[in-house]
Amino acid sequence: MLRIGIDVGGTHTDAVLLDGDEVVASTKSLTSSDVSSGILDALEAILAHDRGIDQKVEAVMLGTTQFTNAVIERRELAEVAAIRIGLPSGRGIPPKTGWPEDISRCLGGNVYMLQGGYLYDGWPLAELNEREVGTVIDDLKAKKVEAVAISAAFSPMNPEPERLLAERVRAALPGVRITESHSIGRLGILERENAAMLNASLLGFADRVVDSFVKAIRQRGLRCRFFISQNDGTLMDADFARRFPALTFASGPTNSLRGACRLTGLNDAIVVDIGGTTSDFGVLQDGFPRESNIVIDVGGVRTNFRMPDILSIGLGGGSHVARDGSAVGPRSVGHELVSKGLVFGGETLTATDIVVAAGHAEIGDPKKAQSLDPDVVKAATREISRMLDAGVEKMKPSSDPLPVVLVGGGAVLVTEQLQAASSMLLPEHSGVANAIGAAIAQIGGEAERMISYDKTPRQDAIRQMTEEAARVALTAGAEAASIRVADVEETSISYMPGNAVRLRVKVVGDIAGRFCDSASLRAE
Amino acid sequence: MKLTVDALPDLSSGAVFLATGGGGDPYVAYLATQKVLAEHGPAELIAVEDLDDDAFVAAVGGVGAPTVSLELLPSIDDPGIALEAFERHVGRKLDAVVSFEIGGGNSLIPLIAAAGRGIPVVDGDGMGRALPEAQMMTYPIAGIPSTPAVALDYAGNTATFSTDSTATYERHIRNLAQAMGGMITTVEHPMSGKQLKSSIVPGTISFSIEIGRILRECRGNAHRILAPLREAFAGSLYGELCHIFTGKVADYSSAIVGGFDIGQAVIESFEGSGPKLTIDVKNEFLLARIGDQVLASVPDLITVLDYETSTPINAERLRYGQRVSVVGVGCPDYYRSARALEVVAPRCFGFDCDFAPLEKLTEYHQSI
Repeated sequence: MLRIGIDVGGTHTDAVLLDGDEVVASTKSLTSSDVSSGILDALEAILAHDRGIDQKVEAVMLGTTQFTNAVIERRELAEVAAIRIGLPSGRGIPPKTGWPEDISRCLGGNVYMLQGGYLYDGWPLAELNEREVGTVIDDLKAKKVEAVAISAAFSPMNPEPERLLAERVRAALPGVRITESHSIGRLGILERENAAMLNASLLGFADRVVDSFVKAIRQRGLRCRFFISQNDGTLMDADFARRFPALTFASGPTNSLRGACRLTGLNDAIVVDIGGTTSDFGVLQDGFPRESNIVIDVGGVRTNFRMPDILSIGLGGGSHVARDGSAVGPRSVGHELVSKGLVFGGETLTATDIVVAAGHAEIGDPKKAQSLDPDVVKAATREISRMLDAGVEKMKPSSDPLPVVLVGGGAVLVTEQLQAASSMLLPEHSGVANAIGAAIAQIGGEAERMISYDKTPRQDAIRQMTEEAARVALTAGAEAASIRVADVEETSISYMPGNAVRLRVKVVGDIAGRFCDSASLRAE
Repeated sequence: MKLTVDALPDLSSGAVFLATGGGGDPYVAYLATQKVLAEHGPAELIAVEDLDDDAFVAAVGGVGAPTVSLELLPSIDDPGIALEAFERHVGRKLDAVVSFEIGGGNSLIPLIAAAGRGIPVVDGDGMGRALPEAQMMTYPIAGIPSTPAVALDYAGNTATFSTDSTATYERHIRNLAQAMGGMITTVEHPMSGKQLKSSIVPGTISFSIEIGRILRECRGNAHRILAPLREAFAGSLYGELCHIFTGKVADYSSAIVGGFDIGQAVIESFEGSGPKLTIDVKNEFLLARIGDQVLASVPDLITVLDYETSTPINAERLRYGQRVSVVGVGCPDYYRSARALEVVAPRCFGFDCDFAPLEKLTEYHQSI
């Protein structure tokens, strides 16, 4: 089965053509500012050798860090009006409390708190106040707000207040983009509200990015199915990605970890993905990314997505290097490395220039790095190793030595054995591990239902829902033997009789030999 | 001692460790305390010895099901309003406040109440951990009446209590908490400085900051944090720290029943084979057992740590698939007295077993 994996990073766009497990072709090119021409170039590079091959490709899987990068770098973020329905609870703790100043500013100052929402037992916390709602809507109109995030107390148990307000806002402001918090998160109103705000802030950008993905793939003439990978390593279709761009957060690291596992055959290792701007440290356990247990910051904002446990530091091929070599990163020239780096004739001293000057790599025009002071090169090289060593040390699951797998375009930065590693691997195609990871992304299947545990005992209910979720995954093309439970989520609905819960089970599995066209990836 | 905003992160994470799963996620309380201290300046923390014998003190904190406060957010003015309502009710101003439990959010609520009013917080609490019910506090165990007391809900509604029996007070307040949205702020156990000196578990706020510092500085794999933690507990009024079990959460279920979070967590080895550890939850982790064999029991502390980072995890944040280490700590001696065990032993929670001191159960604990 032929499939294409593409990884659109901040600096590079990589692509691989896989035939089963075998890498048939791979390429690495620069991410273009319009994204789609970069993808087209990459497709051209991996498919050009055989024109007839286009029709045999069964699927294109695309992973992207565009949305994570947008949050981390505070760009492409639209202003979002945050409306929380929950007063009189939470006075003095409005939406965005605890956010870093800079990203809070990006999303603007339109924050509203309204009376309403429900208590745990289904009793109204307060009635939605018509006059308050009217005032907020008038204000949204006056400010020509384009994106809105709505949260309400206990909305995972009862989403009605969020839905109601969303309808009112939509009616008053046609074309407004809205994320309702219950659609993107679980219990924990602050984290859910944060996730909804980040998501709403990215909706406009998501349309542009997904449009350029679709444009590139269609322009190439590929008519196969097309997916985008999400943070848990499963796939979503393009329309879903337009509505929930925040679900791609951390899909980059997930893909690189899965790609590293496939490339090395190692199931337990530390994987360091060095890109143009950051180095991401992750841990492979039994062939899957180690998941983070704790509440996760995305660009300094607390969320409750399930994500791989990643330590990200500001060190990449494009990282700025201090003139005396004492500091590296976190600022980076990113995809402008090829115009701004010294070896490319630019003016900025970058980590790549240091590696070239030290004679460890031939990139650009090495002569342009020759004039660098050897002491500066030495100091910067030492600093780069120190940063990487500290990262590996922090992520190691125990004091036992573990192999370190280097992936990503910036792997050239590693010029000496790291003290914290038992061995170091730089597998073939490691530069495109992300794209390989995207190509082997998994199929997820979900089932969700309100269940009374008095009628169906809990264990039976979980078994039934797991079977149902597995059926969804099977229909969507998962291989039966590989299906495993990824998540069981129960929200007890205390106000319903009979010990009622909303039970959600998610399973994941590897892609079987062939896709079934009829399948939907998600069952409601 | 001045307690500044800088001490809050360590205090909150240390308090989650001592909370044994309960006490509520301190994050929101942390945000609120941060705001209040930024506005009013640092809170004053005093040692109980420095309190006048005739000072007028009361305990303040949140009562209810911790899961509720994930959604029904507290308000930053709630503790202050509750304090004022209490003072109006008893007709006397408070000289200091004290925590009921050094657990999660309840370690911070007294700071919010006190900072706004410029009165000190006494270093210590009434449990040395978190426990679900009022009669389990050292204050009533020492014979201090729970009432007069005042409760405040999210909407500013108040209720007052007057009863001789702490068990009755607990029953009333629990039922009221259920009707008031599942989480309320109470001011209770009014007492003199002298009474507090004879009943407090002293120094637990500073100790919590110390535990928080260790968790921050030694952040990383749970096995590696055991040694520094063991050392800190060895020099404290707590007993020994023991590793009980390491594995992944194979199942966790909980529901809000009768005003509590009631649940059960099952933890299995990373390989999925061998015996499974069950932890019974009533707001707090109360009993850790493999089948019928108890590995740790209330009032000893049972704490669940994130295996990779050693971050302590509240019961309401437990999730399927999490990799965790379970540790136990011997409770302060006070709680092992016959008088205290009458109200906090496993049978008081409906478990069919007696309290077994943690350090006598080491043969059943999983080796590291």
